[in-house]
Amino acid sequence: MSTASTSNSPGKWVVLPHYAFAAVAFLVLSILLLFSTDAFSGHYFHPKLLTLTHVAVLGWATMIIFGALYQLLPVVLDCKLYSEKLAVYTFILLGTGTILLAYSFWYFQLGWSMHAAACALVISFVLFNINVIQTARKAPKWTIEADFIVTSAIWLLVTGIVGLLMAVNFTLPFLPLDHVHYLKLHAHIGMAGWFLLLIIGVGAKLIPMFLLAHPEDTRKLSWAYNLINAGLVLFILDHMVLHTKLLPLYGGLVVVGVLLFLLYLRDAKNTMQRKDIDLGMQQTFVALVLLLLPLALLFVVSTDLGLPQRLLSSIYLVYGISVFLGFVSALILGQTFKTLPFIVWMHAYENHVGRYKTPLPKDMYSHKLLRWQNIFYLVGFVVFVAGVLLREQQVILAGAISFSITAILYTANVFQMLLHKAHNLKPLTYGKANA
Amino acid sequence: MEKQTPDTEIGPEVFETLKYIIDPEIGINIVDLGLVYTVSLEGDNLHVQLTLTTPGCPMSGTIVMATEQILLKRFPDLNAKVELVWTPMWTTDMISEEGMQQLNSMS
Repeated sequence: MSTASTSNSPGKWVVLPHYAFAAVAFLVLSILLLFSTDAFSGHYFHPKLLTLTHVAVLGWATMIIFGALYQLLPVVLDCKLYSEKLAVYTFILLGTGTILLAYSFWYFQLGWSMHAAACALVISFVLFNINVIQTARKAPKWTIEADFIVTSAIWLLVTGIVGLLMAVNFTLPFLPLDHVHYLKLHAHIGMAGWFLLLIIGVGAKLIPMFLLAHPEDTRKLSWAYNLINAGLVLFILDHMVLHTKLLPLYGGLVVVGVLLFLLYLRDAKNTMQRKDIDLGMQQTFVALVLLLLPLALLFVVSTDLGLPQRLLSSIYLVYGISVFLGFVSALILGQTFKTLPFIVWMHAYENHVGRYKTPLPKDMYSHKLLRWQNIFYLVGFVVFVAGVLLREQQVILAGAISFSITAILYTANVFQMLLHKAHNLKPLTYGKANA
Repeated sequence: MEKQTPDTEIGPEVFETLKYIIDPEIGINIVDLGLVYTVSLEGDNLHVQLTLTTPGCPMSGTIVMATEQILLKRFPDLNAKVELVWTPMWTTDMISEEGMQQLNSMS
């Protein structure tokens, strides 16, 4: 029998601050939404929308993904994280950069604060890449999941560099085309290159694991990887150089790639042994269904269908909302409760298991709050999207209120876990274990 | 997949003890999940080989430590050594009948 090493998990101070920051960022995002209902009636290049988007993608999504990844990377790659110190520096730079950038966009300060924010973020992404790539180099066995994760980190850096160039271009114009042109590039590299590839890479490992399924054939994942990357590279080439009308084709490559990932998950679901789908996994499946919305809208925004400009503007907004407030947020709202309880539990009870009766990770948060969180989220998303499509500020406000309740419930549960301490443990007594 | 060396009379007692270790994600003990591969006793040295549901599982350190601690507490006169192994790879076929009943009762 081949032997294995024990835990590769990093220290809790590397991981947990990311969850705390992200929960607060989600709460701030929902509050900002309440004061931004007027911003959803025009073009997406709007200071409030730029603020909301960057709080969502950096403070909320990227922050929690970084934290979770420091815990999950050793699981996927079966080796220790390269540097915990580097992870802490990355956290500080990402946090500082996000706050500065949100301030700069909200008050539309295009000077030093935006430049400093962009620099902090790019340095943070460079450090993150060093950590991911150096960890991957130590991996005993290379897998397709590792391909997804390492490639996504590189795309994140590219996204950040394009963002930095745009930030500088605000005050020192040097880019040949208008800002919206580069904004499309920046957004799509971030969405498909960073979020999509990363989520597929981690999801392909974790979702079957949580379902107690072992899909062995990874060819669908390999094709998904190739198609999504091909679609993205061709899009960049076309957008910057060729300027053809083939955008729907490149979008199609990405869509087929995502569908192959979903088929892979269906294979896993068909062989799963677990019959109980808990609230965290239910929310994860909601996220996967919501993913179909931006995939469908991708063809609408990349094809000239002759739609009225007013409607097209709303569809553009819904496209972005369905990615960040839809798929990505829904997934995080579910997967937080599949990862954080275990991380906290491990640090609180590692030395007590086998000697004392300990609670299970699922006992560390309120299932009632989680159930209501999921309900308010779904209601909020549907109402919010309807409000944006109808251009009704009152409907948008109703959606934002529902999102705010979601954020309050989520943050309460997250901090309940983060502040959890082991106490009043009773020693194990031996009898019939399963009795 | 409970295996013991033929002269290990202590085996059933060890397996019963290890049923107190619950897989924190699944909520079922590691014996009924089929994670404990072998138990052997040579002199005072108690040797247990176990695996996990997935390689690189973040709970590996916790489960190994818990197994060692519970064995040291239950059998204080023995030197308990727990070894984590990856072959044969764990599959759901290794879950015991009782474990499957527990899984099904969770739905």
